[in-house]
Amino acid sequence: MIDKPYVSTYQQSRQKRKIYTILLILLLTVIAFIISMNTGFIRLSPMELLETLLGMGTEKQNLTLFEFRLPRIVISVLVGIGLALSGCVLQGVSGNALADPGILGINAGAGLAVVLFISFFPTTSDVPVLFLPILAFVGAGVTAAVIYALAYKRGEGITPTRLLLTGIAIAAGISAAMIILTLRLTPDNYQFVAVWLAGSIWGSNWMFVLSVLPWLLILIPYVFIKARVLNTLNLGEVTATGLGVNIEKERLLLLAAAVALAGASVAVSGGIGFVGLIGPHLARQLVGGKHQFVIPASAAIGALLLLSADTIGRWLIEPSEIPAGIVVSVIGAPYFLYLLAKSKA
Amino acid sequence: MSSLAVEQVKVGYSNLMIIDDLSVEIPEKKITTIVGANGCGKSTLLKAIARILKTRKGTVYLDGRSIQLLPTKEIAKKMAILPQSSDTPPGLTVFELISYGRFPHQQGFGSLKMDDLKHINWAIEVTGLSEMRDRSVEALSGGQRQRVWIAMALAQDTDILILDEPTTYLDLAHQLEILFLLQKLNEEEGRTIVMVLHDLNHASRFSHNLIAMRNGAIVEEGTPEKVMTRSNLKAIFDIEATMSVCPHSANPIYLSYTLHKLSEHTLQKENKKSG
Amino acid sequence: MSASVEQSLEVKKRGLTSRPVIGTLILIGGMIGLIIAIGISVSIGAAEIDVKTVWSAVFQYDSALVPHQIIQETRLPRVLGAALVGASLAVSGSIMQGMTRNPLADPGLLGLNAGAAFMLAICFAFFPGLPYMYLILFAFLGAALGAGIVFGIGSIAKGGLTPMRLVLAGAAVTALLVALSEGIAIYHRIAQDLAFWNAGGVSGTKWENLQIMAPWVLLAILGAIVLSKSITLLSLGDEVAVGLGQQTGKIKLFGTIIILILAGAAVSVVGAVGFVGLIIPHITRFIVGHDYRWIIPGSAVLGGVLVVLADLAARMVNPPQETPIGALIAIIGVPFFLYLTRKGGKEL
Repeated sequence: MIDKPYVSTYQQSRQKRKIYTILLILLLTVIAFIISMNTGFIRLSPMELLETLLGMGTEKQNLTLFEFRLPRIVISVLVGIGLALSGCVLQGVSGNALADPGILGINAGAGLAVVLFISFFPTTSDVPVLFLPILAFVGAGVTAAVIYALAYKRGEGITPTRLLLTGIAIAAGISAAMIILTLRLTPDNYQFVAVWLAGSIWGSNWMFVLSVLPWLLILIPYVFIKARVLNTLNLGEVTATGLGVNIEKERLLLLAAAVALAGASVAVSGGIGFVGLIGPHLARQLVGGKHQFVIPASAAIGALLLLSADTIGRWLIEPSEIPAGIVVSVIGAPYFLYLLAKSKA
Repeated sequence: MSSLAVEQVKVGYSNLMIIDDLSVEIPEKKITTIVGANGCGKSTLLKAIARILKTRKGTVYLDGRSIQLLPTKEIAKKMAILPQSSDTPPGLTVFELISYGRFPHQQGFGSLKMDDLKHINWAIEVTGLSEMRDRSVEALSGGQRQRVWIAMALAQDTDILILDEPTTYLDLAHQLEILFLLQKLNEEEGRTIVMVLHDLNHASRFSHNLIAMRNGAIVEEGTPEKVMTRSNLKAIFDIEATMSVCPHSANPIYLSYTLHKLSEHTLQKENKKSG
Repeated sequence: MSASVEQSLEVKKRGLTSRPVIGTLILIGGMIGLIIAIGISVSIGAAEIDVKTVWSAVFQYDSALVPHQIIQETRLPRVLGAALVGASLAVSGSIMQGMTRNPLADPGLLGLNAGAAFMLAICFAFFPGLPYMYLILFAFLGAALGAGIVFGIGSIAKGGLTPMRLVLAGAAVTALLVALSEGIAIYHRIAQDLAFWNAGGVSGTKWENLQIMAPWVLLAILGAIVLSKSITLLSLGDEVAVGLGQQTGKIKLFGTIIILILAGAAVSVVGAVGFVGLIIPHITRFIVGHDYRWIIPGSAVLGGVLVVLADLAARMVNPPQETPIGALIAIIGVPFFLYLTRKGGKEL
């Protein structure tokens, strides 16, 4: 046996490079954060921004920054983290680089719950804004449970491919149900639903932040601790069992965590797809395959991505805006297709 | 040291039982190889021993305790498994992949401790991977990759190693390299090795103990001298073998063989050549 | 599973089972069923019209009679449109499943619908008031665009067009096109108009549409029947097909063109209707065996029956409103898809 524990200098520098990469993404997120505070119909110069932040702003500036822009920016960051981590876990658990909370029908489930609510209580126009997140969260959870139950086979458990295809089928079924429901809505309600489904963060206030934050505070550390398990799950079922992983149990717990992360995020943001797909993919390309690095990198990229998408959506066609979900899809889908074309069988 | 025993096990796939009632003991600190024709249940038996397949009836005992009742992480500290094939995740160096073998010994976030590094470095050394420890696993050849997987199982630091056809897809020289490595681990470290091999001559040459199977049951079990006989090979594989002795190990091997039941045409052709 | 068991299962699964007698029965029975379904569908509606009148309206048309007018101008084109749409979707689905060896292939899953919807969004937003004929043409172009991207991406990739890749590429292209149409729809506040168009079913079908659509569809179905023997061979695997002397590249090209014509025509008339192309080929295959010479014509007939009946149900469920036909078919289709997913082995 070799006495001296030894890690090659290459391995050490590789490790350092990964850490620097993650720090760089965080720095970019901070820059995007600052730019985003400046972006919007009411202009705030960097000087005014600083003054407002230090508590010396006018009433109008205070209102714009603290009541409209900051909660929205914070929500973008949180939702980006939540969706990217959810995707990261789903991809790790399913061993399929193409898994994503949107493809698994979670968005559709949340959407259905919202549409159901609006079609049955169309007049209570003030209630939904606060009630929608809870509803969307329940919808996402129920859908995920249904998908899991349908993909479960006695003796075999869950196979990743079956899970994915079941998700696609359920999502298709839900969209059919939504067609029926949405046609009965009044044009104004329909417009509201359409914007919600497209994934938008415009309605954000501090209440939303408070409703997502606890989930993230519990689940992020959980996912971090499970980095080692995700590493072994990537090696295939037999190898993971051989290393002492209780596959069935870990899969179920991790899937539940992924659903909760995505559910909480979608609840406040609406149907935003592809952050959960792209985040982990970019992360793996930047920091390699170890989940100890992939997880923090995914979270950082998710935050950066959604924050940028929301900022772009706000700025592109001022004073109107494009929902962040659409901006993300328009960037995300081509990238996804590129990965698909590049991937081996 | 850890002992392994299989008692009256019934095991198979969802609606297809492969093994109905099988008992066998795996000798400690020895190399045991399971042989048999395609579909005879040898991989199934190995997977049952390794707890990959759940038994319908009967029990596999590890150190006298039922494997189904032991926490899977405890088993992983005593028994490592090398499957026929594993998925290679992208973006990992040889060192990183081998370090995954330390999973059952780690806690929390999984930073590598002194003890972990010791075992990883030893596994890298003994499998001859020192030169390529910083290479990407994806860039390795099939033989090199197989050595990485073995190194990962070794880093797990277990008394028992279970290998499902570790030499498949490897060329002649690489097959021997792997088998010599296993022999060395057995002789120098006293590790128990259980594996499935397709090459009978390799099985005879490197094993202390052979388990020959057919139709989910054991036909013969014991030393290579006892198992590798003309009549047993006929019973196991339906072949007529011409036997000889391995010049390296003095164990029996076959020189060549023909099918037990030959068609008229082939029989005439074979007779003409030998006559 | 052990190699030998797997092989024997494989042989059983892929085994060529052709049942000409049952196939003929299904074709004849299906035809009769289709005619009956069309008859019922034409006579039932807001105004009840008895079968005798239907008969005389078709064969001794008298433009002075109101019932005759209703049948000739509204119901007949609509029902015939439904039959054609059903046949198109089912045949394109069965070709797709045969060519890709993917039991889950369906024109709706492969970006066609999203492509059509995207083009419609553009039309509604930038050229409002465009005549119906042009809308259909643009919807067709959109469908071709969506499918083109999906097939293109699937084929560029190393390892070719695997079932999984096709489904995922379809999902991604759909997401992209949906996002783009959503963007346009929200910006121009036309989201609900679009939804109505997509859910509209075959109610707007006129003789002029049929005149354009029918020849293409019938020609394409004929082409599919001509190709059917080669598709059977392709369904056994590319290598087998090449080994048997097939020019797989050419067959795939022709097959793809036929799929595009059929599915594009159907989507442009009926909007987003999924699952016809998925279910019908499976039911047909279940009855007539794995020979595409029987599956393709069988699918055409049964697909026609399904959509004619679904259209009838769409009118009857909640009169005088029309229930979206796509949703009705999805109610049957989704459980069926789930059943296939569960039944399928590891390759699914």
